[in-house]
Amino acid sequence: MKLWRKEKSLIYALHPEKIPASGARLTYTFGLGGIAVFSTLVTLVTGLALTFYYVPTPDGAHASVVLINDVVSFGAIIRGLHYWGAQWMVIAATLHLARVVFTGGYRPPRELNWLIGLGLLVVTLLWDFSGYVLRWDDSAYWALLVGTNLFREIPVWGETLYRALVGDAQIGAAALLRFYGWHIFGLALVGVFGIVYHLWRLRKDGGISRPLLKAGEARAFISRDELFFREFITAALAAAALVFLTLLVPSPIGPAANLDAGAAEVRAPWIFLWVQDLLRVLPPVWAGIVAPLVVLLALALIPFIDRRGGNGRAIWFARERWKPQLLLAVIAMVLVALSVREVLP
Amino acid sequence: MTRAKWIFIAGLALLAATFAMSWQADHPTWQIWQERYNAEPNVTPVPIAIRVLTPTQTGKPELCLTCHVGIEDISASHPAQTFGCVVCHGGDPLALDADRAHATLRGGRNPSALNVAAQSCGQPQCHGGYADEEQNHVDRVLKSLQATYAGGIATVRYTFGEQSSPVAQFGLRAVSDASNPLPQNALAALREFQAMAGTIDQTFQENCLNGGCHLGTLPKQPQEYYYRSTGCAACHYLYADDGLYRGSDPTIPRDQPGHGAFHELTTAIPYTQCDHCHNRGNYSLKQMAFLPRDDLPPVAAPIPTTMPPEGRQLKEYYQPIAQFTKCEVELNCVDCHTAQEAMGDGHIYGSKKDVQYIQCQTCHGTLTTTPPVAAIQDANELAMRQARINGHADFLHVGDRVIETPHGELLWSIKQVAPGKFVQMDKVTGKIYDVPLVKGSGCTQDGKTQTSDYCHQCHSVVR
Repeated sequence: MKLWRKEKSLIYALHPEKIPASGARLTYTFGLGGIAVFSTLVTLVTGLALTFYYVPTPDGAHASVVLINDVVSFGAIIRGLHYWGAQWMVIAATLHLARVVFTGGYRPPRELNWLIGLGLLVVTLLWDFSGYVLRWDDSAYWALLVGTNLFREIPVWGETLYRALVGDAQIGAAALLRFYGWHIFGLALVGVFGIVYHLWRLRKDGGISRPLLKAGEARAFISRDELFFREFITAALAAAALVFLTLLVPSPIGPAANLDAGAAEVRAPWIFLWVQDLLRVLPPVWAGIVAPLVVLLALALIPFIDRRGGNGRAIWFARERWKPQLLLAVIAMVLVALSVREVLP
Repeated sequence: MTRAKWIFIAGLALLAATFAMSWQADHPTWQIWQERYNAEPNVTPVPIAIRVLTPTQTGKPELCLTCHVGIEDISASHPAQTFGCVVCHGGDPLALDADRAHATLRGGRNPSALNVAAQSCGQPQCHGGYADEEQNHVDRVLKSLQATYAGGIATVRYTFGEQSSPVAQFGLRAVSDASNPLPQNALAALREFQAMAGTIDQTFQENCLNGGCHLGTLPKQPQEYYYRSTGCAACHYLYADDGLYRGSDPTIPRDQPGHGAFHELTTAIPYTQCDHCHNRGNYSLKQMAFLPRDDLPPVAAPIPTTMPPEGRQLKEYYQPIAQFTKCEVELNCVDCHTAQEAMGDGHIYGSKKDVQYIQCQTCHGTLTTTPPVAAIQDANELAMRQARINGHADFLHVGDRVIETPHGELLWSIKQVAPGKFVQMDKVTGKIYDVPLVKGSGCTQDGKTQTSDYCHQCHSVVR
C-alpha cells in the first residue's frame, strides 16, 4: 500500500493534468493571483521568523522592532521581506481584482469565488493594517487611535464593538495584544483558509475563465509540467525582485509612540489614505464605516449587474461588459484621487 | 526562449539576490565608524561589534556607543556607566540607523538648549525638582538675565521711546516669581517679548535677539572666536576658538567648525569660553547691530589645548578702553563671578547692575575690616560640592573658613589660612594666589568710597 502518491496531493489538485493555454498566458492574467499567493507565503514564513523576536507589549513592541531591524542577524532583511511582501500582497490582490473585472472573470459560475476573493481582499487589508499597528511607532499608534475610535461612532453598538476590538476603555496593552492575536493567528487562519478555498473553487468552476471558441478553432492546452515551470520562473523572478526592493528601500519605522507628546501628524497607512481624506469632510461614521462598506457592496454587486453570457468573456475590456468596468474604473479613480489629495500639501 | 535560458535567468537572479542579502547583512552602516575609530593614531582598536551600554541608573541597554565609540564621558559627575546617553539626549537607544536613532533627540545636538533643559538637565532628581531652590539650576537660569535678556530689551525699548520707564517689562519668555516678599530690585514677572511688525522691535528681534545675544540662540554667523552652544552648554561645554572637535568620537567631523572641543561639561570655565559672547565687540544702538571686534588676530592653528597661552588674556581679552586690575586679567571670570551672578538667584531682575554684586572689597576687605568668613559645616554643603565638582576636593575641608559674600554665598575657592591671610585657587588652572587685604596696607582711600570703580583708579594694569 502506498500511503502517499503525487496524485493525492493538494498541489496536484490545484494543478490539473492540463489546463487551457489561454488562461496561462502572461498577458491575460499577468500572474497577479499567483504573485498575491507568493507574497502571502513570503509574509507567512518571514512573519513566523519575526515572532521569535517581536514583543507584543506597549513597552517592548517598538524596541523589539528596532532590535529586529538593527541588531538581529538578517533581521532587517526578514522584516523588509515581510513588509514589502505585505505591500505586494495588497497591490497584487487589488490588480488581480481589476483584472478579473476587466476580463469579465466574475461571471457565472464564478460569482461565489468573486465574493470569496472580495472577502480575501478585506482580510488582506485588515492583515496589513494590524501589522502596521504592531510597529507601535508614533504614526501607527495614532492611526490605531483614529481607526478604532471610528467604531465608537457607530450608533447603539459602537461602544460594545470598540470594547471588543480594543479590550479596554482606551488603546493600550490589551489593544496591542488583540491586534497581535488577530495579525498572527486570526487573520492568518482566515486568510490561508480563504486562499485555499479560493483556489479550490477556481478548479471547481472550471479553471481560469476562457474565451468562447470560434468556429473550427481547437482549444490549446498546456501540461502540468509547463504550468509548474511557469510558476517556478515567475516565483523566482518575483523573489529576486522582492529581495532587491527590500535591500534598496528600507521598511519604515518611526519613533516610538509617545503618548505625552501629542500627535504631530497622523498618517494612515497608504491603503487607507482615502478614508483619512474623507474623514476631513464627512462625519466619522460616514467616512470611516459607511463609505468603505458602500465600496465593498458595489464591488460585491458586480457579478449580479452583469449576468449576460456569450461573447466578451475572458477578453480584456470587452465592450459588452462596460457596466462593471465603468463602475470599477470610477471607484478606483475616486479612491486614488482622494488618496492623492491626502498626501499633497 | 528555451526552458534552459529561463532557468538560467531565474537562477542568476536568485543567486544575485542571495549575495546581495549576505553582503548587506555583513556590512552594517555602523561598521564604518568603528573602522574609522580604529584607524586613528593613539587609540586601542576595538573589535568590530555592536557595543551595548546598560547604564546602572536605567538598566535599559543603549547601543549609542556602537557608532559613538570613543566619545568622552560628559563629566566625572555624569559617568556614562551610570547614566548612559538617553537620559539626557533622548533618541532611540536601540536604533543603529543615524536618522532613526536621532529622530527624537532632545534639543537636537544639545539637550541643554533652553527650550528642553527642563526635561534633560533639569529633570527631577538631577538639576531640578528640589525643595531647595538653589539646586534647581535650570529653573534659576530660565529666570536669569542671561536667559530673559530683560535688561537688553528694556534698554532698547526705553531708548527708542517704546516704553516710558527703563524698568524691564519683557523677557524672551514669560517668567514669574511667586516669592513674597521679593528681594530688593527683583521683579514679580516679565511678559513674553513679541516684536510688533514695523516697529524698532522688529529690527531688534531680527538683528539682536535672533542673532545670538542671549543664552537661547546661536550666533547668526558663527566664526572663529564666537563658536559656542546654547543653554547650559553655552557656558559649561567648552568650545575652542576655532570651533573644532578634538575628541575621539569618529562621528563628529574634525574639520567642521561649530562643535565643542570635547564631549565634556565642566565648571572650570576658562575666560575664553565667556569671551565667546562677552568682550567680542560692541552693540550699536544706532545701527541696531552687534559690531564684532576687528582687532583680534586670526586664530592660531593648531591650538594645542582649550586653554590659551599665557599673556593672551591681557592682550586680547578686554576692550581697549576699559581699565582692569591685575586679578581681573590673571584670574578667570568664574573666580569672582559667582553661580548666583551667572545663573541667577531664582528671582527675576531687569538689569545687570541688580545682579552683579561682587566687589573688590568682597575678598580684599576695607581699610577697617577683613572680609567676612564662614566655616564649612558639612561635607555635603554647597561649597564642598562645588569644590568636588570642580575637581579640587582636596582644597577644602570641613572646618575651613571661606569668604562669605553679602548674599550669603560661600566662595569655596578663597579660604582663610591664618588670621588675616587668605589664599585663592584659580578654578580653571588650579594655581594658588595670595589674596592681599586692604586693611593694614598703604591704601589711602577714603572709607566711604571703596567700591570697585575707585579701586581701579590706582590699581589698573598698564597696557
